[in-house]
Amino acid sequence: MLNKNPYTWAGLGLLVAGSLVSLSSYFILLLTWLTALGISMLILSFILLALGRTIPKLPPEVSALLLETGIDNIASLVEELRISSKAIYLPSSLTSGRPQALIPLHSNPSLPTKIKALPQRLIVRYGASPDDTGLLLSTTGTTAVGMLESRPGPTSEELESALTSLFMGILGVASGTRVVTTENHIKVEIYNPRIENKTTWFHQCLGGPLASIVASVAAEAWDRPVTIKQEEHLRGRCSIELEVLG
Amino acid sequence: MKIYNSYILIVALLLLLTTVILVATGQNSLDIYYTIYIIEALIVTELYVYFNAKARRGLNLVSAILFGGFLFIASLQVIKILA
Repeated sequence: MLNKNPYTWAGLGLLVAGSLVSLSSYFILLLTWLTALGISMLILSFILLALGRTIPKLPPEVSALLLETGIDNIASLVEELRISSKAIYLPSSLTSGRPQALIPLHSNPSLPTKIKALPQRLIVRYGASPDDTGLLLSTTGTTAVGMLESRPGPTSEELESALTSLFMGILGVASGTRVVTTENHIKVEIYNPRIENKTTWFHQCLGGPLASIVASVAAEAWDRPVTIKQEEHLRGRCSIELEVLG
Repeated sequence: MKIYNSYILIVALLLLLTTVILVATGQNSLDIYYTIYIIEALIVTELYVYFNAKARRGLNLVSAILFGGFLFIASLQVIKILA
């Protein structure tokens, strides 16, 4: 069954036109160059039809609707609890199977140096102290990491390749990335991001969608907890600085 | 999907440019046209490493079909030479 989208329609159009052009020019007009042009149209039509099958059937507007509803609910929860601490992005080895964000409930927390594996619950205890309680949330990064074909490696090149593949090839929200790692700091630059940055309480706590994805991928790549130290949006560029904990 | 658009645009431009150049040089063999087309398409496809897995699978299938066509042309030429 064909997935009807502009790529499929263009592919079908080129398939019909290319067949007509190549057959008529080969058998009737006896023109080699026109036959070749028809063949090139057929090649393009195959490519368009192949790509058309990979476009999601769900319109982007519906995806945005679902995403915003989910984010709004988490934002309400975070704002209602007046949480001001920065989220700690945990790798899947410290949660139950997928990378998630831990938001410590108490203000001005001393960042835990060692976090044990946490159970799959909303409110979790991550340390020995009674204050070591936090919210364990799924973020956009949680889902985005699942879209990667394999777990990225810890080097700058591997992380950059994974992020570029995600942002450019899978999500189509940026035109490239650059990663520089220094000891326990990771600096990521995202070129031409197409996601707007909001400055709500929730975003100050968890970071923007791009920063959240970068932090989740980095946590998974290093297999260590990660926090967003700085997030800066300049014209056509988004700079994110992460700190690796533990 | 910006990456799809840029890929399609580059392949289309390359194929069109090849046709113009080959016509200008007076090339009259359909085999040459086809061979150059598929080499270009295969190279550009390989250069786009950041396609998602589903798109890559689809394009690999297209590449296999095009390569099958190339092998068919090559085998016809070999038969012609041997005969």
